[in-house]
Amino acid sequence: MALRGVWLVRPEPGTALCGSVRFSRRYPTVEKRAKIFNGVSYVPVPEDGPFLKALLFELRLLDDDKDFVKRCDSCSRINKTSVYALAIGGEELWPVVAFLKNGMIYASVPLVEQTLSPRPPLVSLSGISQGLQLLFGIQDFLSLGQKSDSELNTKLSQLPDLLLQACPFGTLLDANLQNFLDNINVASVTQPQKLPAWKAGTYKGKPQVSISITEKVKSMQYDKQDVADTWQVVGAVTCKCDLEGIMPNVTISLSLPTNGSPLQDILVHPCVTSLDSAILTSNSIDVMDDSAFSGPYKFPFSPPLESFNLCYYTSQVPVPPILGFYQIKEEDIQLKIAVNLKLHESVKNNFEFCEAHIPFYNRGPITHLEYKVSFGQLEIFREKGLLIWIIGQKFPKSMEINLSGTVTFGAKGHDKQPFDQICIGGTAYVKLHFRILDYTLTGCYADQHSVQVFASGKPKISTHRKLISSDYYIWNSKAPAPITYGSLLL
Amino acid sequence: MGPLSRETWAHRLAAFRASPSAFMAGADGENLGRDLLSDLRNEKQSEQTKVSLLALSLEYPAELWPNAPAAEAAATSLLDTLVLLPPRPSALRKPLLLAATTLLVTGGVLGPTSEASCRLLPLLLGLASGRDVGQGFGPISEQRPLRATACECLRELESCKPGLLGCSLGLLRRLLGQEGPVQPLSLLLALSLRDTLVAQSRSRAGLQGLLVSEISTGSGPWDWTLAEEGGAHLLPQAPSWPATEEGECGLAVLELTPEEARELRAVVAQLLDTSYLLTPVAQAQLLWLLGWALRGLRGQPPALFKPQLVRLLGTGQLTLLHAVLALKAAFGEALFTAQDEALLLRRLALAAQHPSLPLPTHLFYLHCLLHFPENWPLGPEGEEAAPLLLGPQLCRSLMPSLLHEPMALLAHLHLLCLLCAEEEEMDQGQLQSPQQYLEELLAGMRQRAALDSSPQTLATVCFQASYLVASCLPGQTKVLTSLIHGLAQLYQARPMLAPHFVDFLDQVGPELGEPLKRALQQEVVSKPGRNEALCWHLQMLAKVAEGDAQSATLSFLQDAAAYCTDWSLQQALLRVCRALLQTSGGRGLASLLQVLARQLEDPDGRDHARLYYILLTHLAGPKLGVALGPSVAAPALASSLVAENQGFAATLMVQETPAPIRLGVGPRMAKGPLPVLQLHIEALEPIYSLELRFRVEGKIYAPLKAIHVPYLCPGRPAHPLFLPLQPRCPAPAKLEVQALFSTPAGLTCHAPLPPLSVNFEDLFLPFPQPPNGAEWSFFEGLWDSCLPKGAESRVWCPLEPQGLETLVSRHLEPFVVVAQPPSSYHIAIRLLPTSMLLLQLEAAQIDGVPVALRTDDWTVLPLAGDYLRRLVGTE
Repeated sequence: MALRGVWLVRPEPGTALCGSVRFSRRYPTVEKRAKIFNGVSYVPVPEDGPFLKALLFELRLLDDDKDFVKRCDSCSRINKTSVYALAIGGEELWPVVAFLKNGMIYASVPLVEQTLSPRPPLVSLSGISQGLQLLFGIQDFLSLGQKSDSELNTKLSQLPDLLLQACPFGTLLDANLQNFLDNINVASVTQPQKLPAWKAGTYKGKPQVSISITEKVKSMQYDKQDVADTWQVVGAVTCKCDLEGIMPNVTISLSLPTNGSPLQDILVHPCVTSLDSAILTSNSIDVMDDSAFSGPYKFPFSPPLESFNLCYYTSQVPVPPILGFYQIKEEDIQLKIAVNLKLHESVKNNFEFCEAHIPFYNRGPITHLEYKVSFGQLEIFREKGLLIWIIGQKFPKSMEINLSGTVTFGAKGHDKQPFDQICIGGTAYVKLHFRILDYTLTGCYADQHSVQVFASGKPKISTHRKLISSDYYIWNSKAPAPITYGSLLL
Repeated sequence: MGPLSRETWAHRLAAFRASPSAFMAGADGENLGRDLLSDLRNEKQSEQTKVSLLALSLEYPAELWPNAPAAEAAATSLLDTLVLLPPRPSALRKPLLLAATTLLVTGGVLGPTSEASCRLLPLLLGLASGRDVGQGFGPISEQRPLRATACECLRELESCKPGLLGCSLGLLRRLLGQEGPVQPLSLLLALSLRDTLVAQSRSRAGLQGLLVSEISTGSGPWDWTLAEEGGAHLLPQAPSWPATEEGECGLAVLELTPEEARELRAVVAQLLDTSYLLTPVAQAQLLWLLGWALRGLRGQPPALFKPQLVRLLGTGQLTLLHAVLALKAAFGEALFTAQDEALLLRRLALAAQHPSLPLPTHLFYLHCLLHFPENWPLGPEGEEAAPLLLGPQLCRSLMPSLLHEPMALLAHLHLLCLLCAEEEEMDQGQLQSPQQYLEELLAGMRQRAALDSSPQTLATVCFQASYLVASCLPGQTKVLTSLIHGLAQLYQARPMLAPHFVDFLDQVGPELGEPLKRALQQEVVSKPGRNEALCWHLQMLAKVAEGDAQSATLSFLQDAAAYCTDWSLQQALLRVCRALLQTSGGRGLASLLQVLARQLEDPDGRDHARLYYILLTHLAGPKLGVALGPSVAAPALASSLVAENQGFAATLMVQETPAPIRLGVGPRMAKGPLPVLQLHIEALEPIYSLELRFRVEGKIYAPLKAIHVPYLCPGRPAHPLFLPLQPRCPAPAKLEVQALFSTPAGLTCHAPLPPLSVNFEDLFLPFPQPPNGAEWSFFEGLWDSCLPKGAESRVWCPLEPQGLETLVSRHLEPFVVVAQPPSSYHIAIRLLPTSMLLLQLEAAQIDGVPVALRTDDWTVLPLAGDYLRRLVGTE
């Protein structure tokens, strides 16, 4: 369950090495054990230079990746996990856990406590999940509030000290690196016996509990006879509990209105102490019936100091909030387009914003546009081949709006125009972006009065809700569109 | 000497990190470790620099102090530095403890004889137990935060020397129950408990009260004997599953008294009850440790873990769910009923696609599903398979989609393939069968790959998916047929994917490969080869061109030849010809090659075409196949051109090899007009068309004719061979022998054989038999004719009286003209070209036989003398 090393690598295409090692940490005591455990199959962890090269090669991030390379591109070299074997000096370093996120490759090499030939299945290696978890922790730490390069550099310079605390000998103690940063509101505890390891100290200050429910709605709409539209709500409940005491106990209940949609696929934070079996078993996989558990969903927990995601859930609401269709007719170099959007009557008609993005991929720039909108305004980005229909804060009384127009494209340039691997030929979409505050599609809410806090002082409780669109696509119904398996089960 | 400046150190450390080996090999490398230790103790050096120096020694101790004495000295120096720190808060204490621990482990010096070990261990245990370890070490407020660090150091030492803390179990347990920091103590206790259990079960001892007594033996808290045993074979803290099946870590042999079992249960319960106070990653470690420690141990019901499971199953936390799977693997049905198993699978399937979890987590859970530790697995162990309880309903929620990332797409696709393989046997009456979905999905992927500007990765994924389908569903003709059709269309749309196709054909089996080859060949030759895709078409044809549909291929090539204007195209064209040569040939190909040999602009191309033409017209099929096949001489060459040339060279040139033949001289045959050497031959491996060539040193014989043998096989007796000799002078000689032959692989080989000796007596020929009664006068005539031009001699042969008769009958029988056995023989020997040797062996006397020699060629005389002496010697 220990790690032999950790690396952060930044791919830099176009430079001599195509990337640089921004951070690395080796664990020689673990390396020593690896040598004994792995026996003849032992491959030492290389220096940063060779590691960088091998990693970039394996992830196909070297510049010479234009042509077919048998070592990487052969059809039989199928990698289905984030675990790689790096070719280093004629041998293979395995397992290397690595993934690319936001322009940074996160990599670690877990210890395997046996011989490596034959390679044991990943599921039997505890180091794989530990290694991934550390990388997620580093990623969370780096991405939190980080905007500029200098902020990134500051965070990177904090890493050696943080890892000295979170993972001093290669065995991970806490993946939440934020815990090791000094916190002004935290008092250190003189009697640490019952203080959880995931708390650096105790909170000092005014007690307050903040709960916010964010639902994201995804949809794929086809407007076709033989393909079903799909939509899904994904919810996250974020809490920040500023409470005094070593282990204050809190219970939060999520409730649904009578016509609300049951929550499913609930994943809770590890600080939740117990869980009703109905919560554990409600999922989107089984066929639903009317007897589905519809709450209240109780989550007793003892909160960590920082803001955390109490739970995630999904839900299948009966109708999508906005139903639409999109039709394209291709006439010579022109496209005739028609978009229709209808807000469902049950949805709160008060948006923070609502926009429909209409991109045209794999074509030239827009040279000419004639259009008519029944509501809102249209913005045109000619070079990008993009139309943005700004709908605004409210749908009109009819709840239905439409756009029609004719788009003409110029000659296709070489690299400037946007490429998309899905929007081929007539395949095209309208993507909706909207946000509604103080609203959830499932109806889910956290009643202030249902929040129970067992701690000194009466805390101020605040709750927030919002609905955001995410991957909300309406596909051209006159051409093929990518479908998921669910769409075929009419 | 003052300390080095911060900048100097920063520069030095950066240079070291860039490449430790290069730095240590450089001029500055030798001093780095020494400078580092001395600057750590230098009061003028800033704390920040010291921290970075310690960070380096934590990561590269073996580079800085490469041997045990150096490591021991460095650890001692670090401990000195630690004690000498002024009694105020310092950021150095923690890294100093970590660095000293690291050094003892990596330097291999941890042991009862190491002074540094004997200083560090009590210090760590003192800090861990919350005792005041002394003013010099810092104020008590400063010591407290170091408790966790000390525990971690002890855990690392225990990991590297399992059993070390075996005698401190009771102490650790008490500390955990009292005021200690819960996580470090829990993990340390769990680890040393597990190590002790394993060590005691190996030595077949019980726990001997280790769990209750504070310090149980007189040796103090350290059990070096246990550690020495453990050090010989490190213990996996979380053994991989199949390995444990072999009983590697099985504790079933451990005999615990009921009391000990109760104590053990109490410790485990204590650890599990407070486990929620640990961070999720530490909880997972605890569960792995305890799960595998208690597996199979009598009196330790796995139900102890049950209260934790519901809490753990609710999270999507990677390490926790993974630990639950480890418990599942360790205990199986004893901890998870069939319903529990179903619930766990459901949670796993749910987490494998939960929109709130990141992609690497999804992929790992998908992997776990295909390697799920089932209670009652059906399939062979270690093979990827969908668990039985993961029914079609659950699978359907995990279907791949074009919107997935490539890796996720492949992982989901694999599951779909497994589902298709199962559903083959089930009814097909559904509206949308998984097969149909699979086909649509593949069609979508091909469509993406066919797009003009689509990136390489899309093509790669498309072919990987096709390969996955081909390997998972080998018998499903319907799926494979549509796959072949779709791939042929993909090629039509984007010939530049030819390298992918060639690779794909290399990887898949013949049941898919053969029809796909035909389809692709059809695809290529159906259109005239004159466009920019010609180079891809030719590359494709070189792979797929085969005997069938020759004429279409040839007319395509004929057509294309006019457009092959540059060197690379001509080479590609020739490669197709070469492929055709290998598989078939035929009249059409010969005329194409003739045309190319005249028409191609490039002289190298023309040469190749001519060579191919010659090969085609001169070599029979099998030989041609070998000539063009993979080179025997240079199998590992990367360049195909060089390899090809080497291949030709190997096949068309004669190889020098060690001889797989043994050749020997048989008994003499004195008849006929010429002396004939009888040869015996034996083959060590089958050879064909053997030609033996002989050469005589010094031209004393006329040139010898070669001997031909059509076929030789080891173990089968060969007929003797006869080699006629035509001496130009009657002298013995050495024959050089060369063998030329073909191997079964078709190579022509050449081997020098050991030289053969032709002895003087091998040249003997008898005179024609004189008429009856005239023998004596015939001999007399010869005898007299020798002189005066010839020579005469007398030799004394020391033979027994009876020896003479034997000698004559054995060696000289064919040459006897007049015989009066046993006392007198007159012998006449003809020697080519024109000499003779006459012997009169007279009546034997007591100690020998007098021999009178005459010859008409005086050069023969010494040879004859030698011969006689040898003859007598052998008798």
